[in-house]
Amino acid sequence: MSSLRAPGPRGFSRRTLLAASTAGLALLAAGCTSAPTDQRERVTGEQADQLLGQVGVQETLVAAYTAAGAADPVLAGEVAELAVQAGEQLTRLRAAAPGATPAAVSPGTPPSPGEARSWLRAQVATAATSHATACVRQSGARAALLGSISAGLRGQDGRLA
Amino acid sequence: MADDGADEGAQDLAAENAALGLALAAAHAAVWGYGVVGAALEPAARGTAGSAEAAQRDVRDRATALLAERSVEPPRAQGAYALPFPVLSPVDAAALAVVLEDGVSAAWVRVLDQAAGAGTRELALGALSGAEVRAVGWRAAAGQTPVTRALPGL
Repeated sequence: MSSLRAPGPRGFSRRTLLAASTAGLALLAAGCTSAPTDQRERVTGEQADQLLGQVGVQETLVAAYTAAGAADPVLAGEVAELAVQAGEQLTRLRAAAPGATPAAVSPGTPPSPGEARSWLRAQVATAATSHATACVRQSGARAALLGSISAGLRGQDGRLA
Repeated sequence: MADDGADEGAQDLAAENAALGLALAAAHAAVWGYGVVGAALEPAARGTAGSAEAAQRDVRDRATALLAERSVEPPRAQGAYALPFPVLSPVDAAALAVVLEDGVSAAWVRVLDQAAGAGTRELALGALSGAEVRAVGWRAAAGQTPVTRALPGL
């Protein structure tokens, strides 16, 4: 009977891989990278402006959750956890974007009750695409954060389908 | 100064390659793990595991090709991997699939952090997004809540 364990120290077992990833990402989550002057962590003016723009995108999405919930109270209960996560994403984006301040935004025309779900799903997909586009143009921890948020919203999009 | 810039660029690419190697190792583990997942699922549900395995194979092949273009020796798959818990039921299988996809997500977020080029970020973003979408389905199948994550891989 062959062992399910990796045969030797060469390479990575799944456990060791996850341990290594966790160690590296703990630093990433804390906003640290291996070298403070790393090229990847240098922010151009364009990148800084773009990151502020992504804060606005996320603020619009958070407002969309509120508007959809107001239009359809049943939906509001169903997506409460998703709305909380969108808020968590906004908090992380603001922390990564120096100078970002809370702003009152409108997601546009509020949906009718019968259209609230599809309208909200479109808002989520739009935000995910916007963050993905910005992710590719950023680098370092900013790219990682935007990519993670975009992926999280893709998951939300699937949940709303 | 030009030499400093060249050294810095080489260092950046070395960091990117190292992160790609970890992501490739995670993909190898996921491909292997989905064999265990599929075996523990009901026959009607095995197609989902097969699709997920195919997606991981595709990402694995793309990462392998990218490293090969750079003359970097890619990490090889192991013959077997240690399971984190016994996989004896469809719920166990779904929970293992969540572990696999979450591990892959963490590795690709690391690539995003270390990437020196936009092309690599596009590859990483696609792999990360696919992993999280699949993970949402597996978390639901495993009875885990919440089924979505605000910041997958971080």
